Amino acid sequence: MFIRSDDKISTSQTSIFLTNTVLGAGILTLPRSVTNVVQTPDAWISVLLGGVMIILLAILMVKLSQQFPSNTVFQYSKRIVGTIPAAVLCLLLIIYFIIIAGFEARVMAEVTLFYLLEGTPVWAIIISFIWVGAYLIFGGINSIARVYQIVFPISILILLLSYFLSVRIFDIDHLRPFLGEGILPVIKGLKSTILIFTGFEVIMNLVAHMQHPEQAVKAVVTGISIPIVLYLLTVVMVIGGLSTDGVLRSTWPTLDLLRSFEVAGLFFERFEFPFLVIWLMQMFCNFISFYFNASLGISQVFGLKAPSVFFGLMPLIFLTSMIPKRINDVFNLGDAIGVMGIIMFVLIPGMLSVIYIIRKKGLKQDV
Amino acid sequence: MCRRQLLNLMLIMGVLLTQTGCWSSFEIEDLSLYGGLALDEGEPTETEQDLNKQGGSYPRKNLITATIQIVPVNSFGSKSKSDKGHTAQYLNISETGDSLLEILRQYSVRLERMVIGHHLKVIIISTKLAQKQSMDQILDFVLRDNDIRPSCTVFLSEGKAMDVLEASRPGEVSAFRIQGMLRNHYRTSKVMKGVNLSQLDALMNSKRSFVLQNIISTKKDLEFAGAGIIKGETGNWIGSLDQPDVESISWIKGEVQGGAIKSYTEKNVPVIYEIKSMKSKMKAKVQGDDISFHVDIQSQGRFTENWDIKNDPSKAQFMEEAEKIFEKRLSQMIDSLMWKMQSKYKVDVAGFGECLSIQHPHVWKKVKDHWDEEFSQIPVTFDIKLKITDFGSSLK
Amino acid sequence: MISMWSQFVSYIPDWTTFMQAGLTLLIPIIICYSFRSLHSMIKEQNSTEKRALSTDSSGETSGSKLAGDYKSDVELIKQAIGNNCDVHFREFIMGGYEVGATLIFVAGMQAAEHINTQVLQILMMNAEKDSKDNKSLPSNSELSAYMKQKLLPVCEIKEVVDIRDLNQSILNGHIALFIEGMPNALVMSMPNEKTRSITEPTSEALIRGPRIGFTEVLSENTAILRRQGRTENLEMTMYEVGNYLKRNLVVAYMKDIVNLDLLEEVKQRISKMDMDYFAESGYVEQLIEDNILSPFQQGQNTERPDRVISALLEGRIAILLDGTPFALIVPVTFSMLLQSPEDYYERWIPGTLLRILRFFAAFMALMAPALYISFISFHPGLIPTELAISIIEARQGVPFPATIEGLILAISLEILREAGIRLPKPIGPAMGIVGGLIIGEASVQAGIVSPFLVIVVAFTAISSFSIPMFSAGITLRILRFVGMLFAGTLGMYGTVLFFLLICSHLTKLKSFGVPYVTPISPFRINDWKDLFLRAPLPLMKQRPDMMKTQQKKRRS
Repeated sequence: MFIRSDDKISTSQTSIFLTNTVLGAGILTLPRSVTNVVQTPDAWISVLLGGVMIILLAILMVKLSQQFPSNTVFQYSKRIVGTIPAAVLCLLLIIYFIIIAGFEARVMAEVTLFYLLEGTPVWAIIISFIWVGAYLIFGGINSIARVYQIVFPISILILLLSYFLSVRIFDIDHLRPFLGEGILPVIKGLKSTILIFTGFEVIMNLVAHMQHPEQAVKAVVTGISIPIVLYLLTVVMVIGGLSTDGVLRSTWPTLDLLRSFEVAGLFFERFEFPFLVIWLMQMFCNFISFYFNASLGISQVFGLKAPSVFFGLMPLIFLTSMIPKRINDVFNLGDAIGVMGIIMFVLIPGMLSVIYIIRKKGLKQDV
Repeated sequence: MCRRQLLNLMLIMGVLLTQTGCWSSFEIEDLSLYGGLALDEGEPTETEQDLNKQGGSYPRKNLITATIQIVPVNSFGSKSKSDKGHTAQYLNISETGDSLLEILRQYSVRLERMVIGHHLKVIIISTKLAQKQSMDQILDFVLRDNDIRPSCTVFLSEGKAMDVLEASRPGEVSAFRIQGMLRNHYRTSKVMKGVNLSQLDALMNSKRSFVLQNIISTKKDLEFAGAGIIKGETGNWIGSLDQPDVESISWIKGEVQGGAIKSYTEKNVPVIYEIKSMKSKMKAKVQGDDISFHVDIQSQGRFTENWDIKNDPSKAQFMEEAEKIFEKRLSQMIDSLMWKMQSKYKVDVAGFGECLSIQHPHVWKKVKDHWDEEFSQIPVTFDIKLKITDFGSSLK
Repeated sequence: MISMWSQFVSYIPDWTTFMQAGLTLLIPIIICYSFRSLHSMIKEQNSTEKRALSTDSSGETSGSKLAGDYKSDVELIKQAIGNNCDVHFREFIMGGYEVGATLIFVAGMQAAEHINTQVLQILMMNAEKDSKDNKSLPSNSELSAYMKQKLLPVCEIKEVVDIRDLNQSILNGHIALFIEGMPNALVMSMPNEKTRSITEPTSEALIRGPRIGFTEVLSENTAILRRQGRTENLEMTMYEVGNYLKRNLVVAYMKDIVNLDLLEEVKQRISKMDMDYFAESGYVEQLIEDNILSPFQQGQNTERPDRVISALLEGRIAILLDGTPFALIVPVTFSMLLQSPEDYYERWIPGTLLRILRFFAAFMALMAPALYISFISFHPGLIPTELAISIIEARQGVPFPATIEGLILAISLEILREAGIRLPKPIGPAMGIVGGLIIGEASVQAGIVSPFLVIVVAFTAISSFSIPMFSAGITLRILRFVGMLFAGTLGMYGTVLFFLLICSHLTKLKSFGVPYVTPISPFRINDWKDLFLRAPLPLMKQRPDMMKTQQKKRRS
């Protein structure tokens, strides 16, 4: 076939899809949120451990999804627990996705307002964001994956360049002592590191769209390893540059890191500019991901046509993003999303797998 | 029907284009960038007092006088290419009040262009102000503001901070000059590594005492002179260190990138040691409840200047003698600093606390809250080794 | 419970937010709907036209046959086309046999000399010698064979009996010969079409590379293609296009390389084309493209045969139309627009460097004014201090905001460029001096625009000229204005949105089923050898993956 009309994505596209879904708002606040709990410079170990745990969870999700080829979680949950309970579960997942989409849009707007467009009304920023997103979503998962492929290398390149340049204020002493207070604070920090990986649940839908679903595990491992590495790098560079005390005092520590030095001689004396640009693009990808998965869910659960769902979600996401009244609410919403993520995990892949295994192995039913 | 839709669409587009455009748009030439900010004790300037007399006042306490240095001075139509360079490059303007933001906004009733802080490079705080108010309070706005980058450097001034901004040669902007002078850190360790806002934020959060470079100024010139000590617990200025002390701190911390040690031979003529490289190793020893430090300083350098013309610096024997002289001089400098830190001011600004926290985090946790007092009792030993490796391009 | 409820209520957005949410929904729906109606309008018009034309063509008769009688046949022709002043009827007596004959031709379309020496001379004089051996003319049916075999030394000659055919061939420049006693007409062709000689392609100049370009004659163009190298796999299929004025169109491809599905799709789209006249290959391009509303071209036009051949070897398809030197290459991808054949003729290091330079230039052509506007009017804090200060000094007294200033300069530059093309060649350079130097310098002196902006706009213009494809340059220039509007409204954020919008559009766009931004995405690592990089030739072992060719390997 020369002209393809199916909406399947390749393995590498799946990885990038996952990376772009996970890598989002967290990168700006992560160093502070983790250090806040850990209180020692060992926050990076928490990120590493948390990431490894997430990979394991994601593999579980993939294994479950692989039992139902070409079916998304919205479709196969029906076959495991029956129509009504499945509808409730899927509805929860959809709401979860919508809330994250709104949250991402709001965080994007907050940062844009604070650093770039002071004085512009928040709705103007969010609405234009949603519109451009909607334009892309109409192209289906293939177009989305392709945009990710364009944005991803640019992001990585500039992110790494920014961190590389911030080596000038990096001080290894800020990361010492290593495990000065033992492993306990690191364990405590795990909770907040798991939160930043929220959104990897989309893998349960992605497997259905893969050209080679049998390679899903590979895709997931790379797709989550990249954000782990980047998050790790972020934490190390930010704490190394600002020290734990500095990080704890900063609302957006990663941006503060880049604002703490000027590179004389380069055209960009100020590296927060390219960083903000790629961050905006990254937030766009992130937002698209949840927008798309939410609409996918609605159209599959309620049997609606995709374009009408895309339209319908626009005001809904906008309203969601406007719910937080202050910046505290935004951060609290972020934490709440993390908790929701854990509940979602327990309910959907957790419960579904258990029931599936019981029915398959225990009751020998054909699911 | 189709035409009406098109009309609707155009109408909406028109509304969007005309009503939404440029919420946050301010042309760059309509803005005043300020490159320097000087914070003094609240004391209205003469202009201000005149203005106040005529009714230009609002309810406030005179806690702080902020002076900003606006670059470039841009008044419409005044610029012609020929007289560029003769006119002043900057405009200093002062306001007094009790809130930095309010003061900055107050400039809007005096200037036609709004001031923006994106390009603020240096903040100079007078020691008098720092004595009264804690650094945390003074700099709270600066740290919170979204315009001001955390990359700007903070200095102290023992005189009036606004005078520092005033002191410059024609055609020069003192804020940028100070910024540029910081780069000379690798020429002499009398110039400290600049402390920028984000570092300051971290220091204040950790309640550690620290030093900030001190600037002194005359009408026409300014210079880096020593450093002022900020006490961690209170955030207030408590005293000053002189230039050799600043050098000694660099030696202890191992931050020396260049510079010289001058000493005198028995004949009382100067000999100079130029530092090529140095290393410093600090070790904290904990025995029971007793803490002690040992600092091992090693350096290699060049015999650069010798006024003692009778002696030949290329001779190994003289080199060894000279090494002893220089070591003695350095240990004197360091002792003087240690006395100031442990006895006079009772603070630790040379990174001993940090060393302890890294090497013995558990001990550190116990003494953290009263470290400055603890430190004044702690014995510190030094082991200084200077090695002259060459004598320049002249044999005699 | 009540407090929880009140807390919950406090988070419900107020009615303005709901209004905004409504707007969020309404405006895209309106836009989407109007685009759809625009689309369907275009489609509808196309189909109605087709219906009308098809009824028209069915009404035409297939034409009657010649009667076989010399006098009445010539009369018939005279009636049909004799009114044209340029149709000549040359009557003469065939030497020796003493029978009447008529030569019909259109003045100026044949070489008169050839008619004289190869037809008239032979029939009037040489036939005399021949008649001495034969005495009498062969009978009716053998006459034409005799003429073809013995008398007329012309390579293209055929018998025609259909009157409509005959008329058309005469008008197309063939010579018709009627001889008393011959039942049919003989049609000979001695074309003397005035054609342009083969010259260097002016729209795609190269420093190193063949100096040959297509001409307006289709047969010559196909011949040039054939002459590029010997192969039996270069296949050319002829189509007749145009409902009213007919023209020939050739689809060329390598039959063992091209993907057959793609070929089928191209052929199908070409046969569906419906237009009374195809003046240029641009008509074909616009009628077969995938997305009419896209600013990006979906067919590459070129004058260079070497470019066509290398595209064919990659598995693409070329469409050549009679009457234009521009061939079309489909499918096209974005990277092709930034490639020049020279990249391959020079060594790979300069080739790569030029590629990267062009990508950078394309990016600048698209984004530079938008970036300028967002820095100057929105984010003075994101540029280096020294630069900010010198811009402030340079912009003293400029009366317009950066957006308007940029638009003024960019639009006047476009006018200047347009004027430069239309002007006769000798005045062109003078135009450049007046426009570029005098207006630019004077407007800076007068303080209407700032010198910094002049640099930015001039840089943008030069960047857009460095793009090898002229049409691609236009696209970028149009989009540049859109970018300026985005930047003027939302600053850097708007610029990022604009970039994302372009990305979204490009990823959705397909040219004959090939995603426009292949090989960047879908990611095809093998094709990256020929994207930003121009890999050394020995490394380019394979044809592009994206074309899904029958043969993968370039080398045996």
